[in-house]
Amino acid sequence: MSRDLAERDDGIKRRDFLRVVGVTGAGATLTGCSTAEVEKLLPYVVADESITPGVATWYTTVCGGCAAECGMWVRTREGRAVKVEGNPDHPVSEGGLCSRGHATLQHLYHPDRFHGPMIREGTVFRQGTWDEAERLLAARITRAQNPANTVDGGSVMFVGGHMSPSMGRLVDEFVGALGGTRVDYDAVTDAPLLEAARIAYGTSSLPRYDIGAARLLLSFGYDFVESGASPVEHGKGLSRMSAVNDESHAKGSFVFLGPRLSLTGLNADEWIPIRAGSEASVALGMASAIAGPGSTGPYANLLQSYSPAAAAQAAGVSVEAIEALARRFASESPSLALGPGTGAHHRNATAANLAVMILNDVAGNVGTTVHYDPAAAGGLAGASSSFSGIEDATRAMASGEVGVAFVHGTNRAYSLPASAGFREAFERVPFKVSFASAMDETSALADLILPDRHFLESWGDSTPRPGVMAIQQPVMQAVPLFDSKQAGDTLLAVGGHLGQDLGAATFYEYLRGHHLAAAGGSTEDFESGWRQALRLGAVEFDAPDAAVPQLRSPQTALTFDAPAFDGSGDLTLIVHPSARFGGGEFSNSPWLQELPDPVSKITWHSWLEMNPATGEERGIRTGDIVTVASPHGSLEVPVWLYPGIREDAVALAMGGGHTGMGRYADGNGVNALDLLPAVAEQPSGALVTLATTVSVTATGRGRRLATIEGSSDQYDRPIAPAVQLALLGEAVEGAEEEHGELMAPQGVGGFVPVPAEGGAPAAFPLEGARHGEYAQAHEGPRWAMAIDLDKCTGCSACVTACQSENNVPWVGEEQVMMGRDMNWIRIERYYEHVDATQAGDLDVRFLPMLCQHCGNAPCEPVCPVFATYHTPEGVNAQVYNRCVGTRYCANNCPYKVRVFNWYRYTGDIPEPLNWQWNPDVTVRDNGVMEKCSFCMQRIRDAENRAALEEGRPVRDGEVVPACEQSCPAEAIVFGNIRDPNARVTQIVASERTYRVLDELINTQPAVNYLKKVTFHEVVSEAH
Amino acid sequence: MNRNWLIGGLAGVLALGALAFVQGGGAEGAGAEGEEAVLQPIAFPHDLHAGSEEGQANMDCQFCHFSAERSVDAGIPSVSTCWGCHQVVQGTNNPGEVAKIQGYWDRGEPIPWVRIYKISDHAHFPHMRHINAGLECQQCHGEVQEVGPEGLHTRSGIARSLFGADAGIGENGPVWGGDTMGWCIECHREPNPEGLQQASTDCAVCHY
Amino acid sequence: MANGGTGTATATAPETATERGALTHPDLHRLDDVNRDVLKMLGRPGKGWWALFGLAATGVGVFLTAWLLIQVPFGIGVSGLNSPVGWGVYITTFVFWVGIAHSGTLISAILFLFRAPWRQSIYRAAEAMTVFAVMTAGLFPLIHVGRLWHAYWLIPYPNSRFLWPNFKSPLIWDVFAITTYFTVSATFFFLGTIPDIAAARDRATGLRKKFYTVISLGWQGTDSQWHHFGKAYIYLAALATPLVLSVHSVVSWDFAMSIVPGWHTTIFAPYFVAGAIYSGIAMVITLIVPMRKIFGLEAYLTTKHFDAMAKLMLLTSLIVLYAYLCEFFLAWYSGEEVERTAFWNRLFGNYWWATWIMLTCNGFVPVMLWFKRVRHSIPALFVISFFVNIGMWFERYVIVVTSLHHEYEPFAWGMYRPSVVEMCILVGSFCWFGFWFLLFTRLLPPIAIQELKEVMPPPMRKKATTQGADS
Repeated sequence: MSRDLAERDDGIKRRDFLRVVGVTGAGATLTGCSTAEVEKLLPYVVADESITPGVATWYTTVCGGCAAECGMWVRTREGRAVKVEGNPDHPVSEGGLCSRGHATLQHLYHPDRFHGPMIREGTVFRQGTWDEAERLLAARITRAQNPANTVDGGSVMFVGGHMSPSMGRLVDEFVGALGGTRVDYDAVTDAPLLEAARIAYGTSSLPRYDIGAARLLLSFGYDFVESGASPVEHGKGLSRMSAVNDESHAKGSFVFLGPRLSLTGLNADEWIPIRAGSEASVALGMASAIAGPGSTGPYANLLQSYSPAAAAQAAGVSVEAIEALARRFASESPSLALGPGTGAHHRNATAANLAVMILNDVAGNVGTTVHYDPAAAGGLAGASSSFSGIEDATRAMASGEVGVAFVHGTNRAYSLPASAGFREAFERVPFKVSFASAMDETSALADLILPDRHFLESWGDSTPRPGVMAIQQPVMQAVPLFDSKQAGDTLLAVGGHLGQDLGAATFYEYLRGHHLAAAGGSTEDFESGWRQALRLGAVEFDAPDAAVPQLRSPQTALTFDAPAFDGSGDLTLIVHPSARFGGGEFSNSPWLQELPDPVSKITWHSWLEMNPATGEERGIRTGDIVTVASPHGSLEVPVWLYPGIREDAVALAMGGGHTGMGRYADGNGVNALDLLPAVAEQPSGALVTLATTVSVTATGRGRRLATIEGSSDQYDRPIAPAVQLALLGEAVEGAEEEHGELMAPQGVGGFVPVPAEGGAPAAFPLEGARHGEYAQAHEGPRWAMAIDLDKCTGCSACVTACQSENNVPWVGEEQVMMGRDMNWIRIERYYEHVDATQAGDLDVRFLPMLCQHCGNAPCEPVCPVFATYHTPEGVNAQVYNRCVGTRYCANNCPYKVRVFNWYRYTGDIPEPLNWQWNPDVTVRDNGVMEKCSFCMQRIRDAENRAALEEGRPVRDGEVVPACEQSCPAEAIVFGNIRDPNARVTQIVASERTYRVLDELINTQPAVNYLKKVTFHEVVSEAH
Repeated sequence: MNRNWLIGGLAGVLALGALAFVQGGGAEGAGAEGEEAVLQPIAFPHDLHAGSEEGQANMDCQFCHFSAERSVDAGIPSVSTCWGCHQVVQGTNNPGEVAKIQGYWDRGEPIPWVRIYKISDHAHFPHMRHINAGLECQQCHGEVQEVGPEGLHTRSGIARSLFGADAGIGENGPVWGGDTMGWCIECHREPNPEGLQQASTDCAVCHY
Repeated sequence: MANGGTGTATATAPETATERGALTHPDLHRLDDVNRDVLKMLGRPGKGWWALFGLAATGVGVFLTAWLLIQVPFGIGVSGLNSPVGWGVYITTFVFWVGIAHSGTLISAILFLFRAPWRQSIYRAAEAMTVFAVMTAGLFPLIHVGRLWHAYWLIPYPNSRFLWPNFKSPLIWDVFAITTYFTVSATFFFLGTIPDIAAARDRATGLRKKFYTVISLGWQGTDSQWHHFGKAYIYLAALATPLVLSVHSVVSWDFAMSIVPGWHTTIFAPYFVAGAIYSGIAMVITLIVPMRKIFGLEAYLTTKHFDAMAKLMLLTSLIVLYAYLCEFFLAWYSGEEVERTAFWNRLFGNYWWATWIMLTCNGFVPVMLWFKRVRHSIPALFVISFFVNIGMWFERYVIVVTSLHHEYEPFAWGMYRPSVVEMCILVGSFCWFGFWFLLFTRLLPPIAIQELKEVMPPPMRKKATTQGADS
């Protein structure tokens, strides 16, 4: 009841600002009895033509989450952004969107955002007006610029992070006019790669990889699926490259070389656990083996001095493995080697990247799978952030040369090692300005905070790669609670006060003006192009000629030897970007905090990855809290024993241990950077993350991990089977024999005409499927899903997409520890074969487990009140408001996909975070069961729209569940299995199709999985 | 005598129990009818606008409730819609009320109408499906075009006009079943006369 | 069972004796002793009673607070339940109390039909225990559900939604089973007490007299009343008897109807019924031993009664033990990996301790009952009955929790730790039960006066027998 009142109030406020008609179901709750209080209906004063109440409006824009700049679709209802999705028309991301992309929506409505410009008065901040703030800033700049001023005078310094090209240009002009300097920095950076590309090919942008075209893919520890330059694009590439083709049975293979299996590594077919820092030796060893003695080229002499034997020696793996791999790399072309990436930024990182480039060059991959864009062609130059730049900046600040310092888009005080001394130096600056939209460790030090807009509220542009231009447009009016202003506009205003002329009054004009100029000034085709850019989200124009560049001889002397590590500890510390938080800038999102880490399945807190053997010899078990000490710091963290890491290494993820970022980030886990030295890699100047050894000692204390992992062994149960590539074609018969005649009739399973013996598709409903309320014959659609486990990378984007679409609440660390996480999709991770001691096959199975919508559902007959039942369309529906909460259905669900509202989780969500709620989905209340609904609201929406136009039935592909929509790997397909031409029907006809546990308990699920395909023999009985 | 006394007692207990049941059922059904009198910001006469009698405007419902046939929400007219007509139509019966519109228009405020028809948040009612299935607004909302300002003025007023025999609804009888699911089901179960698509009684059609 | 009494006639009893009653109550001589002794119990309560009653009342307070003031407002989350373990202490305790409820009807109805001689002096207490146990058990489904305020949806009644419950669901069967059982056993219990209440009425004064007058339904003890009474009693007994078997079978189907490994077993019905009687008898002993002491009923509750109950306990313990072994054997014999893992996990998994407590208390301790000396030592029986009570509670815990926490999907395996609130409610339920039972010992004759008299030798004949024995 009280919940209901709160809800109503919020409803009024919301509608007040939006001036719209009340939304049925907006923030709906199950406490339906709304007799007590009066609900107001607030119409528009003037109706907005583009808005029909109750009908969603979609906008395209560019995701501002990271430098990858994926295309985005934003669904708005009554002028409120309620869901972000991947834009299928975007040439780079092609409809995929990662978990972080989805979570940006929470930053838009984040209760920690500033309510206006904040002006420091002594130790506290006072909220001021924009005019006041801008005038103050202008005044301080003039004052600082005054040469006579020796007290708090000095130059202007702009410390930036990732920003759109136009914004960068504006900043340069603004700062340039003041004679100041601009430095960019990101803890997660590809600077060494960029530097290597400059040295090797003289290009100023990152190499582009055509991963999908490769037949053999090598990753030298490069985590391109979860972090890296463009996770969605590269993840898609990986699944396209490694997924088997059901006709030709062609399948690319993926070999991972590195001390630790990241999410990317877990997708590999083979793991060569090379010692940390030996990437260069291995790459060059292979290159020399391929090039042979009589090789030419600028690096010929270098290659002479390397050999597989030396490489094996350095890497601590067998020489045969490296030779074999070298042979394959040369023969199975086009091949592709990537690496080493942020996880392996050691003191010779540039050299290591260069070595990998040489390897690609020797194997003749340049121009086929690797592309180097000629200089100044744009591309991801924005990522060229350097730590050495920051070092200079820090020195300048510390020495008092800087009078006014701007911080934009980055959180220095957090994302720099404490020993870098940035915090202290920054504090010494007389006047510090932050553009952060919410408080973080850096803004806490600032004198003036000019809250920037969220990218969904602001204008911008992006060139994710040469030949592609995308426009970032505001999809809604700025959230009124937060009096924010786009940084570009602020700079222009301040510039105005300072008498600068930057050629535009607003950033929008500035942006348009620039693109108009770029288009050669011809207005009309610019207009069309501009409109197309806004409609499609991106435009492609003919890319500059990709002439294959020649490898240059090195001007700078680089050492390719194994790097030095600080300290005398016996374990090498690997600090890698988090798959959920990147470098920590996403840590304040409860969705991401609650999203199980794709590798460890741990939520909320940090953990130290350690090999079980290492743990055993030290008597350390999972959950023990240990002290990790490096020469530069020490911290306490629980251990998670992980077979996917070398015995001589331990790993920590970035993103934890925030102290001043916000309610959802602070106090969760530890900041791995505290263990690192403030060392810049030469010559790229990136922060060295693979820098030190540590000693690990048990504290004797322990804790329960907030993990969703029960057992990573599937006990030979028919849950996530696989089939050997060589057996494709005979696989079906093989399976039949395995399980014998007993299983044959049930093996057919649910709704799907799987080719049984004799080929005749099984009739529906099957005998024995009558328990599912199927008595009446139904001619309508029969919804079903297919998930290709050979494509799934386990990236977990679907989990967050589902959470966003279906108003799934988060429950917090305590509750997750009790086993009460609410996510409707659980990405299960089963180890089949993981060996960290030698090169060999790797077999880890990912299985997205959601409600299977069984044709023969065990949950249905046991519900005493029909709260769960089967719809005629084959969906296992859950009627929330009918549920009494006996939880029998959950007990009887063999897949354990039903989650229960143990508390009123939805009640704790603070304003205005709950504005994100999907108005089309009921917000569940205390004491009811819930689960995947196959996005029933989307099915209904499609039906309604189909009915409105000529009352036709829904077409294939019109209903796209949130998980399928965002899946970067294109592993999920949903549709009407009754329609023989539907994609799902055709995919499911594959011989790899199976249903989880079906042959064991005849549940006849509507979710069909396609077996993972391996190169090695599958030993597991579960097959 | 003791015996009779007891029998009486038992009978009483049974009666009470039965009553409790019925009450339970009733209360369930009663749904979202509140009885507290709440003044609408403007005494809006539906009959003058939508009525077809002499001196009534006989407007189409969807002139104001503009999105009913294309959206789940019927839509409440924007102030500009009201003002569009009423800056010329001063209103003969009650110019005072009409003047209020200008007030809202000038202040740029929305008119805070009190919601009368409310379906529970856990049920979804797509207006367009019903309109396009050929249903009349009146089949759910009653003979709204006959309801004068006094009827709409208070929540209890609307309840009276729709349920009670008074307020000129008369023969068609009470229609608005408020939140009672049975009221929806009754209609959905009926075989469709016009040969339109048969309404579904599947729970998940409305509850998701 | 019928001649359970004679089978163990003590050495002092002449084998030729015909008055089995005389053997059951050797120390009772005069009929009005019975009235005196029994009705004396309804007099002023002693300190011991008040102490116990105070304790129970406090417990009831805790019970209701934990449930209605903590769990209902905040949510079922205050328990330790989670996914995958959606059922825990609440369901365990529910089954436990339903089980307790069984021996009452067994002793009063079945033994009545079998004319077992030793039931008279204990069946009243046993029946009372049954009624109160069902009252307790009935609360737990309500405590357990997530939305108490909608629990009435499980009752089939015509409603504004045109919705009926799902008659396929075992939980609905439960609703019927429990309510039926409660109605019948309560009626049976009340009917049996009427003549004794009348007796109490004739002695009582003041308010008590009014109370007894009303609930004795005007019993005068006339021939016709006795005639009807006898008929009604035997019919009700006949009606109650099948329920003893049916109710717990239905409860067992809550589990057997599912597909959870460890629940989905065909032997559940007989297994549960046997277990129910087992725990019921144990509870009877636990209750009447102190009662016997406090009210000095040694003459009425003799070793013969305890011996007979001990034998019943021994028998049922064997059945239960057999059921355990049967389950484990079949799990192995099925060759089904999931089933095997489940039962292996029971014995040696995270909850091994619960399983071993269960096996020890229910399987091994009762073996001592083979010895007559144990059966005849009331302290020993008291202790054993305690073990059995504990063991039977853990049996249900093992079935509910260990089966759920390791199910089909290994990645979703989890652990369950009961919370403080759950513990309060568990302990509170015993207090709630004790509360009613203590009231009963004060308000109604805890021993059936009339039936005792039936089996007692009429005074004049007692003389004869003693003479016969002397000569």
